[in-house]
Amino acid sequence: MTKTIVITSGKGGVGKTTTSASFAVGLATRGYKTAVVDFDIGLRNLDLIMGCERRVVYDFVNVIRKEANLNQALIRDKHIKELFILPASQTRDKDALTVEGVAEVLAELSKTFDYIVCDSPAGIERGAQLAMYFADSAIVVTNPEVSSVRDSDRMLGLLSSKTKRAEDGRDKITEHLLLTRYSPKRVARGDMLSLSDVNEILAIPLLGVIPESQAVLRASNSGDPVILDKDSDAGQAYLDAVARFLGENVSHRFIEEERNWLKRLLNFKKEVV
Amino acid sequence: MKKEPCFQFKANFLPCAVLQILSDDWTHFDQQLTDAVRKAPSFFLNLPVVIDLDKISAVEQINFLHLKELLVAHQMVPLGVRGGSDAQHQLAEANSLSLLPGGKLSNFDKKQDKKEELILLTKLVTTPVRSGMQIYARDGDLIVTASVSAGAEVLADGNVHIYGPLRGRVLAGVTGNLQARIFCDALEAELVSIAGYYLTKDDCQKQALSPGMKQIYLENEHVRIEMIQPQRVPAEMV
Repeated sequence: MTKTIVITSGKGGVGKTTTSASFAVGLATRGYKTAVVDFDIGLRNLDLIMGCERRVVYDFVNVIRKEANLNQALIRDKHIKELFILPASQTRDKDALTVEGVAEVLAELSKTFDYIVCDSPAGIERGAQLAMYFADSAIVVTNPEVSSVRDSDRMLGLLSSKTKRAEDGRDKITEHLLLTRYSPKRVARGDMLSLSDVNEILAIPLLGVIPESQAVLRASNSGDPVILDKDSDAGQAYLDAVARFLGENVSHRFIEEERNWLKRLLNFKKEVV
Repeated sequence: MKKEPCFQFKANFLPCAVLQILSDDWTHFDQQLTDAVRKAPSFFLNLPVVIDLDKISAVEQINFLHLKELLVAHQMVPLGVRGGSDAQHQLAEANSLSLLPGGKLSNFDKKQDKKEELILLTKLVTTPVRSGMQIYARDGDLIVTASVSAGAEVLADGNVHIYGPLRGRVLAGVTGNLQARIFCDALEAELVSIAGYYLTKDDCQKQALSPGMKQIYLENEHVRIEMIQPQRVPAEMV
């Protein structure tokens, strides 16, 4: 049974595409045949993050308009053979997406893929609504600041009312919170909302906390999703999140300020001297 | 060829008097009416009159013909009757007095019906009301057992009960019910309103509120927030 996951947030720049790329890679690495679809028509980014921008010939809109078939548009990932990317069109806008067209493409993908990851555009307009419309589960990407939290809250409202599952009266979409760009240090200083602040407002299960990390920008620029950078904190956090998504019991990390024995020893020395 | 329109309807309000009948003693009625007309003859001249039967609904046989004659004699224009019993209505119509809406008795009946409806129309919401959502309980109460987020709006014609954290806008008695109340626990609302009277978040925060159940109601056109003190049984009585 194919599972369709939407990565959404409402607000822009919180890490939807980074999360879509890393999640798709994470699922494919586990052996699941995965497709990641860029719904951000007109602001194509996923192909850059995935490092396949030079191989884009046909796109999502071409497939919807029957100008190309799905196999022509799907791009095989350079690292993992189980992973395919369906890029967005850069020259069209979101009105090029239709409910019937999206339904058809997703149905076609369902025949061969285990997971379909839908990278939603920012906002609550057509693109974002279609990205979530057919989803079985949603990963709500949130930054620890008030406007991002409020926008996520709005998206959760839409997820429970403006999706096919809601309209059909089936079981509701499973919701997951992914808190990104988290800095325990800044939380301690009171500059940032804490995990419990966000949890109190959104009140949905926590999938993971991705720490603010230099590795993310580096990964985006090089076109290798950060989850492949296994030594980085953000990469490890995404690996944990994928494991939790698949039902494994992994304890949360990167929530408290790091205090390893070496640092503690140095602090202790300082205090003694 | 197109004809000129022969008529047009216009909505309008005409002044008219409601004559509430308190007794069917028509001799005294005539005397008192004569006195009243003498005091302000121009006011009563051609005055349209609605006969209100609420206070005399127990009297089954009313001489409507005589009553009409009395009014016409004093140069008033009887329009019809309102209120009263069904038997009275039949009698009035037989005397070519039309039946007009309104009157306390008929209203009273409606209210009784409405009360039953209110119980049925209570709306229950068990999932969080998220930012951007609006929930309206028409003609009834609203109960929310989950949170109401900032940017969400919950409204009811009746009372609103909220058991989760309240951070959005909450409006009770939106169609003007001054008796409507809001009941909540954690009050961090952006706006609370009863029948159009409101407090903003700043207004709410000026009042030092301790945790616990609160009720919000209207008193002399002011929105009041009050802690609900549970009735505790004194220790020595246990």
